[in-house]
Amino acid sequence: MSGPGKSAAILRADHIAGGVFIALGIAVFILGWNLPFGRLSAPGAGMLPKLTAGLLILFAVIIVATGAASEKLSQLPWSDWIHAALVTGITAAAVSLYTTLGFLITMSLLIFTLLVLVERKNIVGSAAYAAALTLFAYWLFAIALKAPLERGLLWF
Amino acid sequence: MTASFKGEQLMDRRQFVAGSAAAAATLTVQPSFGQDAYPSRPVTLINPFPPGGAVDVVARPLASVLEPIIKQPAVIETKAGAAGAVGAQFAANAKPDGYTMLMHIVSISGFAEVDKLFGRQPKFTRDAFIPIARFIADPMVLVVNDQQPYKSLKDLIDDAKKNPDKLIFSSSGLYGALHLPIALFNKAAGIQMKHLPTNGGGPALTAILGNNSQVLVSSIAAASAQMKAGKLRPLACFGDKRAPAVPDVPTLKELGYNIEFYLWVGLFAPKGTPDNVVAFWRDASKKAASAEQFVAAMKNLGQDVAYQDQPEFKAFWDADAKRVESAVQSIGKVEG
Amino acid sequence: MEVLDSLLLGFSVALRPDVLFYAFVGCLVGTLVGMLPGIGPLAGVSILLPLTFGLDPTKAIVMLAGIYYGSQYGGSTTSILLRIPGEAASVMTCIDGNAMARKGRAGAALCIAAVGSFIAGTFGVIMLTLIAPPLANFALRFGPPEYTALLVLGLIFLAYMSTSSLPRTLLMAAFGLMLGTIGIDVMSGHFRFSFDIPELGDGIGIVPVAVGLFGLGEILSTPSRNVKTNVVSPKLRELLPTRTEWRQSTWPIARGSVLGFFIGIIPGSAHIISSFVSYALERRLSKHPEEFGKGAVAGVAGPESANNSASTGAFVPMLALGIPTGPVIAVLMAALLIHGIPPGPTLVNDHPKLFWGFVASMYVGNLMLLALNLPLVGAFVSVLRIPYAYLYPMIIMFCVIGVYQVNNSIVDVWIMLIMGVVGYGLKKFNFDPAPLVLGLVIAPIFEMSLRQSLIMSGGNWHIFLQRPIALVLLLICVVLLGLAIYGAVIARRDWRAKLAAAEAGE
Repeated sequence: MSGPGKSAAILRADHIAGGVFIALGIAVFILGWNLPFGRLSAPGAGMLPKLTAGLLILFAVIIVATGAASEKLSQLPWSDWIHAALVTGITAAAVSLYTTLGFLITMSLLIFTLLVLVERKNIVGSAAYAAALTLFAYWLFAIALKAPLERGLLWF
Repeated sequence: MTASFKGEQLMDRRQFVAGSAAAAATLTVQPSFGQDAYPSRPVTLINPFPPGGAVDVVARPLASVLEPIIKQPAVIETKAGAAGAVGAQFAANAKPDGYTMLMHIVSISGFAEVDKLFGRQPKFTRDAFIPIARFIADPMVLVVNDQQPYKSLKDLIDDAKKNPDKLIFSSSGLYGALHLPIALFNKAAGIQMKHLPTNGGGPALTAILGNNSQVLVSSIAAASAQMKAGKLRPLACFGDKRAPAVPDVPTLKELGYNIEFYLWVGLFAPKGTPDNVVAFWRDASKKAASAEQFVAAMKNLGQDVAYQDQPEFKAFWDADAKRVESAVQSIGKVEG
Repeated sequence: MEVLDSLLLGFSVALRPDVLFYAFVGCLVGTLVGMLPGIGPLAGVSILLPLTFGLDPTKAIVMLAGIYYGSQYGGSTTSILLRIPGEAASVMTCIDGNAMARKGRAGAALCIAAVGSFIAGTFGVIMLTLIAPPLANFALRFGPPEYTALLVLGLIFLAYMSTSSLPRTLLMAAFGLMLGTIGIDVMSGHFRFSFDIPELGDGIGIVPVAVGLFGLGEILSTPSRNVKTNVVSPKLRELLPTRTEWRQSTWPIARGSVLGFFIGIIPGSAHIISSFVSYALERRLSKHPEEFGKGAVAGVAGPESANNSASTGAFVPMLALGIPTGPVIAVLMAALLIHGIPPGPTLVNDHPKLFWGFVASMYVGNLMLLALNLPLVGAFVSVLRIPYAYLYPMIIMFCVIGVYQVNNSIVDVWIMLIMGVVGYGLKKFNFDPAPLVLGLVIAPIFEMSLRQSLIMSGGNWHIFLQRPIALVLLLICVVLLGLAIYGAVIARRDWRAKLAAAEAGE
């Protein structure tokens, strides 16, 4: 996605978006090549995937074709990407730890890290907020709803 | 660290509250760190089907009578997906410490066979589980829509022989618990019907009620209200003797077909679970299966508790798995 | 009047203090369950099922049903305030409800949702009282061909769903349909695009996708420095909808109620579709379709009413025929069975007190829910006074546990996270995710019912023309398409200008 950005000044947002979807459609064709298409009177497992991938490519081509009117790629506001990347990264870390560490540890760490690292809030306040919030959520699910959240390490 | 410390305190309270809600009479306050005696914390029963499904209706009443027996909360965790394969695989890979147990039905025996059919490496086989106990075993019943003329199984077979692929039977899904028995029957009777797969027992029943399919093999419990109301006509039963709920319906064995098929629900432990834990669960299951509240709940569902302890259950399961495997083979790989 | 007598009998049961109490507990838990993402009505009902074992069946069903329809009220709250759709039916509420909240009209949106739900719920119960049995038999005639035709109609409505241009809407829909084909093919057992992950066997869940696209995607593209916390004025009058807002929501509520009820009685997952169709319908009928997506009142009122009315309609086949219309109804049926009451054609005659008591309790329950929800609007709105920097970590936490709790599946949470990033990208490139979600909902049902129809007919497409209901639905499709083409021909002259305007608009 990042490759052609610099060299082509005339490249517009819709060209990139359409291109990504065309690539996706082609990928679906390749991955699903072995699925039988079936006949019109007896559609196979591969009919709908191939039809939708075909439609996807078709509409993506239309968008590329009419893309000249769209914004220049450089005009897209990307100022929020650091925020997005940080939040995604931290959440991904939390998700990968969730089943091992359990709800209370992972989620209080998640909230704490988001507040301290991304929002630059003060450490003590963040810790207190994170602990209070997760304990409240835990209480709500486990006791009021009898649907305990992931226990994780805390039981061992 | 404050969070985790507080967490532990909270958890003790949770144990206390959850336990007391269900088992006020037998509650003894647990020492927080006395971990020697099994079970020292809540146990999880994996339900591999959606809520309200075949396992759920047995597991919920079971869990509520288990709690006072094992003196710990029994938490039902739904891990539905892929017709029960996701939950079974999760249990197969769980730590065999007796805190993760699996409730599953007849279709547990079929997954490996289906994988073989498609040339896939089976993700787990029957060997991954230790059978503990069977709780219910409801024989299947073959029903037809009341708008159909068939009064006996012979009528049905004769017509199906004359007009192959005219009749349609619905099922809970390909290789599902409602598909396997009718596949066995079709093979034994030498007839062909079209298969209308749906995504569950409810939709399969809806299809036959709307006469979008004409034949269905269902568990007796699931079809009993409709049979009573006269919307569905039972023609044959898949048990080894007649079922008390439908005493007038002949079994397939009486009619000369050597087929048995039950929708049973059993409790399993992952392979490698210590013997003392297995013994504990056999004992707990036995007590739970005879608990008045559980028996009453099953009665209301239209079935009798058909409890089997480990040795009988294992023998039953081995024989049952042969039936399931041959049913999967007779269906084969579907084109398209 | 036989119905009146029966209803009187029902109210004599429903108004007993102990029954009233359990109805209240059900509604309260339902509201809570609906508000918390993840614990949907399905989990809520099955978790509380064991607690009813000691009760008599009437109280049990009254309480469990209260959870079910109560959760439909609660579901709108998180959608409007936090843009987290608790379940698929709330996706449409997210769009305009949250846009209203951003304009400081959160209170109004919540009030309209509550009142709309009340009217729709009550309408549903009245219909249930009057015409349940004949209606149920009608619903049974909805076999696979009828379903296919209904979904084709749904697909056509897609075009009206979004403010973005037609190719963009259709592209998103195709993308959604494509995602919907992931998983085991029910007809042949083939694994499709599941990359050996068994959790993908049943396909991608709607909740993880919707929560990712709407909830998380929004957070990713909103750094806290861009947010000025809108301190909501605590004055009661500003929490309530204005006279104009009421007027704008009257007809959408009425249409949503009728539409939702009839879609709701069809066995299957049709109730999800009701809110999408209602949204598309309102946008099509609106004099200001350009306001949709930017806080149109009708975009909250219509879908919210439709999904409530549909949830009541879903009881019809269960009570009259003993067949479940959806997973939650299946659990309620199991609950009745466990209590020794088999739901089915004989229910009304065998257990009139239970049947009519249950119906009457729904009138009372809807009133209770209104009384419960309206005063809480003020309290809910004050959630938005939490500074955004503290609010969004909380939203992320609820997104994660909400998605995880549905199936206890970490794969679902990964899907949510990926969809969050996708949603971020789509927003950057001006794509609207709503048609994607509808495509995802429709794909598996559409494929299945189409192929079921062809199995039934032995591969003959005439089956769609031979069955009257399917034929009527398809004729409606043709008329709609005809109108659209006619409209396109008329508008052809300024087509390019319009496209440019639409592209430049957002």
